[in-house]
Amino acid sequence: MNMSETAATPDASTPAGMLEVDLVRQARHGDLAAYDELVKRYQERIYATIYHMTANHEDANDLAQDSFIKAFQALKSFRGGSSFYTWLYRIAVNKTINFLKQRRNKHHFSLNDLDYNTEHNPDLVALISHKTPLREAGLTELQKKLNEALMKLSEPHRMVVVLHDVQGQSHEDIAEIMDCNIGTVRSRLFYARQQLQGYLSEYAKST
Amino acid sequence: MNQTEQSFDELKRLLKLKQHEVPPPGYFNNFSDQVVSRIRAGEAGGKQTYVERLEVEAPWLVGFLRIFEARPGLIGGLATGLCLLLVVAVVLDERSEVASKSLLTVSQPVVAAPDNSVAALTQSTLVAAADPGSGIVAATNPVTSLQPVATLRPARCFSRSASRRSVINSINFRFCAVCA
Repeated sequence: MNMSETAATPDASTPAGMLEVDLVRQARHGDLAAYDELVKRYQERIYATIYHMTANHEDANDLAQDSFIKAFQALKSFRGGSSFYTWLYRIAVNKTINFLKQRRNKHHFSLNDLDYNTEHNPDLVALISHKTPLREAGLTELQKKLNEALMKLSEPHRMVVVLHDVQGQSHEDIAEIMDCNIGTVRSRLFYARQQLQGYLSEYAKST
Repeated sequence: MNQTEQSFDELKRLLKLKQHEVPPPGYFNNFSDQVVSRIRAGEAGGKQTYVERLEVEAPWLVGFLRIFEARPGLIGGLATGLCLLLVVAVVLDERSEVASKSLLTVSQPVVAAPDNSVAALTQSTLVAAADPGSGIVAATNPVTSLQPVATLRPARCFSRSASRRSVINSINFRFCAVCA
């Protein structure tokens, strides 16, 4: 077996090539290599969700790490009724909401630069050059407005918007993650969008 | 529904831009290592704190307690409520005691003997005690009028227990053989 073959088909005996179910089973028995692989698979999505909720990279980093550690400690109580991914999300969401409740009155942003691709995103270019009266508004300004508008929403409403409109999760998954029914998810999403539409009326005009 | 979805199209496109807010390249290279190191450090350190264990074992309880942490006014209100409840309970208890004592005063023609044993108690003394002209002032004696009879008589005198209620009902009790 040469190196290229190894790279093309991951070995099922290594954590990288294992199914999630097997990784979870091994991690439950204390296998940290298996858990390391689980962290790698979900770190970006968990981090992004927390970041969009907190608008702060340091907080997002701490909370994401705490969520993974807590999930490892609680793995024995994971019954497998839902997917590991949903279960992990639920831990992260609860941790984030608790954190936000504690620092409710301390709104502070750490606005990081947008990545290079953003400047060439066709949606954004169209938005700034044609749709808005503030053509000269920069990306940073837009990002700031967007974050400020999101921060005005309550935590459950913000979470639904982040999970659905930013991360593209389904209503069913969100209901499971947030431990509520789909009707609640839909109504929260509708209300949150209405609110955002009002806050971002200069940028997001309804058709 | 489609109309409402369409009305949010522009907003959804705007929100999609949030996907580009990512940490710098290489940020996640060591992320999982840090997590695993912290787990190892926690295991090496041995014990979790009580709160950490509680977070894992009873997250609902921690969530409940955090409600109070986030809203200090709520815990104040709860504490005030509990105090009020305690005061009401004490007042009600006092009232019931006063009521039972007044019953005692009316129905207690007991005359205490100097040696603190129970004096003769017959139907005739009861009648005499009720009569102000009889010379027996049972109701004005603080000991006999306010204290339950149970405190004055030896427990062995009566066959029933010496509870207050039993004293009220025991006005027609006969003496036991020892006292007689």
